Amino acid sequence: MSPSTEFLDRLASAAVAEGLTDVTYEFVSTPIGELLVATTEQGVCRVAFQQEDPSGVLEELADTIGGRVVRSATETQQIRDALVAYLEGDPADLVFPVDFSLMHSSFRRTVLQHLRKVGRGHVVTYGELARRAGSPRAARAVGTACATNPVPLIVPCHRVLPSSGGVGKYGGGPDRKVFLLELEGALGA
Amino acid sequence: MMPTTTYLPPFWMLVENHAGELLRYARRLVGDDAEDIVQEAFLRGLRSYPALRHGDHLRAWLFRITTTTAFDHSGKRREIPVADLTGETYEHSYDNGAFESIIESLSDANRDALRLRFVEDLAYDDIASKLGCSPAAARRRVSTAIGSLRERLT
Repeated sequence: MSPSTEFLDRLASAAVAEGLTDVTYEFVSTPIGELLVATTEQGVCRVAFQQEDPSGVLEELADTIGGRVVRSATETQQIRDALVAYLEGDPADLVFPVDFSLMHSSFRRTVLQHLRKVGRGHVVTYGELARRAGSPRAARAVGTACATNPVPLIVPCHRVLPSSGGVGKYGGGPDRKVFLLELEGALGA
Repeated sequence: MMPTTTYLPPFWMLVENHAGELLRYARRLVGDDAEDIVQEAFLRGLRSYPALRHGDHLRAWLFRITTTTAFDHSGKRREIPVADLTGETYEHSYDNGAFESIIESLSDANRDALRLRFVEDLAYDDIASKLGCSPAAARRRVSTAIGSLRERLT
């Protein structure tokens, strides 16, 4: 007697209704592969690409935010739908509240908050983003902030490029970065 | 007992790993109400999860919660309010001894076997060597113990 989907859905809904979750998560299929999306009451706390081990992602959430990690399609529906629409080319912005609990360094949070203001179709260099975050010489640290961004796509670290040219690194791999920049019309022909 | 780990896994990992066997167990105890019992057991688990101090023997912990939930639903035992779940000892911390009170009436041999299974989380081979019997006999004692619980529930 393995648990039916209905059983699991009912359990998740009851847990959410009673406020017994620290984190809710679900997977979503998109044009750039399967993503894991996790949310708290404060907002989206994690978006993970397919190549990240989901158990490791969930364990980090349990360790950092709380052990009551519950898989819920309903609680994550809106953000999952928005991500799919965005990755299929819908021009609407991904404006969701973000929970930066996984980001411990306040400098990195500041960087990501400035990065959120870089809109679709625009790009910024690591150095320029460092300047906007108030630390013009901290381009390398900005690189680290982007590399450890817990909520890629929502906080658009794919819009940060090296001043030396090329698309540079990306947590989801350079191919995904190119895909996203092309999707947003930010790469010159 | 030495803790083997201190870390609490993401709760849904427990659901995915153990819901099937808990449903099979609950079906033995209460038949058609198994899904309701296991759902309530997981909710109780979630309610007390933040208060757990380590992640040892969580499978056994879930079996005990399922057992007490089945008894609470049958009206055979008064439910213990969650607010009282602050006991200090490891074995009873989740339910203030509710599980112990349920298995009290079993024969010594069966109760010991069930305790090794649902408190110490041992495999049948290890239960057998602790009790000085064969693994088959250990399995039989656990099964008989569960059968007695079922009889009291119906």
